[in-house]
Amino acid sequence: MISLFTDISQEVISGIALGSIYALIALGFTLIYKATEVVNFAQGELMMVGAFVNFFFVTQFISSAGESSLWIFFVALIGSIIFAVAFGWILDFVINRPLKDEPIFSVIMATISLSIILRAIVAMIAGPMSLLPVSPFGENVIKIGGIVISILDIFIIGSAIILVSLFYYFFNKTRWGIAMQATSEDPIAAQLMGIPVNRVHALVWIFSAIVATISGILLAPRMSLLDTSMGFLGLKAFPAAVLGGFGSIGGAIVGGIILGVIETVSMGTLSFHFEWIKEINDIIVWIVLIAVLMVKPDGLFGVEKVKKV
Amino acid sequence: MKGRYEDENLYWIPLLIGFVLLLPFLLQSATFSYKYYLFVLNMAGIYIILTVGLDLLSGYTGLISLGHGAFLAIGAYTSAILVDQAGISFFISLIISPLIAGLFGFVIGFPALRITGMYLGLTTMGFGFIVKRLIIAFREWTHGAGGLDVSSPVLFGYTIKSDWDNYYLIYTCVILAIFAGRRLAKSKIGRAFMAIRDSEQAAEASGINLAKYKMLAFFISGLFAGFAGVLFAHTSHFISTDHFDMLLSIYFIIMVLVGGAGSIYGAVLGTLFIVLLDNLYVPMIEDWIHSFMNTNAGDIQSLIFGLIMFLFIIFQPMGLYGMWLKLRIYWKIFPFNPRKRFT
Repeated sequence: MISLFTDISQEVISGIALGSIYALIALGFTLIYKATEVVNFAQGELMMVGAFVNFFFVTQFISSAGESSLWIFFVALIGSIIFAVAFGWILDFVINRPLKDEPIFSVIMATISLSIILRAIVAMIAGPMSLLPVSPFGENVIKIGGIVISILDIFIIGSAIILVSLFYYFFNKTRWGIAMQATSEDPIAAQLMGIPVNRVHALVWIFSAIVATISGILLAPRMSLLDTSMGFLGLKAFPAAVLGGFGSIGGAIVGGIILGVIETVSMGTLSFHFEWIKEINDIIVWIVLIAVLMVKPDGLFGVEKVKKV
Repeated sequence: MKGRYEDENLYWIPLLIGFVLLLPFLLQSATFSYKYYLFVLNMAGIYIILTVGLDLLSGYTGLISLGHGAFLAIGAYTSAILVDQAGISFFISLIISPLIAGLFGFVIGFPALRITGMYLGLTTMGFGFIVKRLIIAFREWTHGAGGLDVSSPVLFGYTIKSDWDNYYLIYTCVILAIFAGRRLAKSKIGRAFMAIRDSEQAAEASGINLAKYKMLAFFISGLFAGFAGVLFAHTSHFISTDHFDMLLSIYFIIMVLVGGAGSIYGAVLGTLFIVLLDNLYVPMIEDWIHSFMNTNAGDIQSLIFGLIMFLFIIFQPMGLYGMWLKLRIYWKIFPFNPRKRFT
């Protein structure tokens, strides 16, 4: 009985770590959706590009410095974020601006083809082999009363909390954050009030690129392999964004953590005790999603839209 | 009162059908590798049947489906099991299997009564994943992830084997499907679909039973996709769950949107455009690139595909059908066209 308890609590903690990454990816989806009503299908690919860029920086710095230290990882992180800013800005120019007055569907399709392009480019540059990402913390773990937690997981949860609180502060307290909220509420009215809607949209794309890059950096050492299929993980964060209610930042976080915990627990303890759970391991997320949507069609925290006729 | 098709030119339809029937002979006389072209055209034909159904669902009724590959899979696996393991004849399976896929459409139609927009897209995407996983789970009949060999179709004592035979089988069905799609779109049902797409509230106020017509839309579109699945299974002779990837479902919706959602011909054009682009033109461009640059990565193919799609959407956001409409208006008012409107 006690061993079952420790097993489950260990899985829950590791699930929370995985879920925080999902939550960050979902946050990227939510940001863009909130501001422009575009579902960015390339979010997973943005994450992949971020992870690859970070990997490139880390290996370059390590080979030029000759040794690996935490500072190198920090500098690589800063480099990747600078890259993400440039990347998000370019994406806004390439996708968002030309398709400004077109139907939403066109923009969504543009993001789908962008995801195809990004996967192809990364595969061409990085080659067919999977890369081995380096974790700054190695395989170190700490033990709390029989529960083994890897330091990487703690780091992931910690950075997710920091990022989310930064975003919360930004959205609710700063000028630009409030401008962003106004834009997502009603772009035309926001423009009339003198908010530079175009610049706000650019900012949203930049932010979501940054979030994607950071989630990629956090996810890569956890997956222990880095290749282009990482882009598909973005699709796994989709249910997270939807579960909480598309367009709600708190919802994305709660949804991500719920899904992460469900996934790890079902893969671990549940599969061990019930044979049939193994069959539905990779779809359990979707089953939960559909069940929730059947009861609450706008997600857990989504606001029901009242339509005027 | 005006007849149903009175405002359209119909005389070119027999010409088009004749062209479709003669196309294999033209290809044979034109190229040596006509078999490959036939293969590509067959694939396009199967996808056309599916996208016509998807267009009725997404284009006409406005319900997004990102899991249509699942219906294709259901049709394909049902037919393969019915014909090869239960010993039912192909013709009867051609009727039963689409119905079963349609019933699954009913099932997914239930949540669609409450869930709308992107949430529905995600629900159908999840449905796609679940079906794929269930197919693997029922490994007694489906052989799990290993795939299933399927026999050739036998129609009225005649075994359909070569690409040539397949072409005629598939394109007969394609013509029937397009006809059925057009007929549906112009009927009371089609008008109800469009009313639901434009405004659910207004449609309900005008006496359209929302639940009934939404379920019907899913049923019909599942029927078309199941039909395509039967043809897919029996003409490709081998099916596995890898054939029904999530990406395929996204490709389907791209086909409909590139063609221009809400028009049956648009769906046909879009499907032909994407399939031919993917299988004929992209390899051509790839060869051309190889002639002056040495790349050995296979990814250049998807890069070209993605780039063409991307540029197409940036410069023609309304799709092929919208392009065609613009051209038509351009020629109608030819000498007097204001320059600005047609950029």
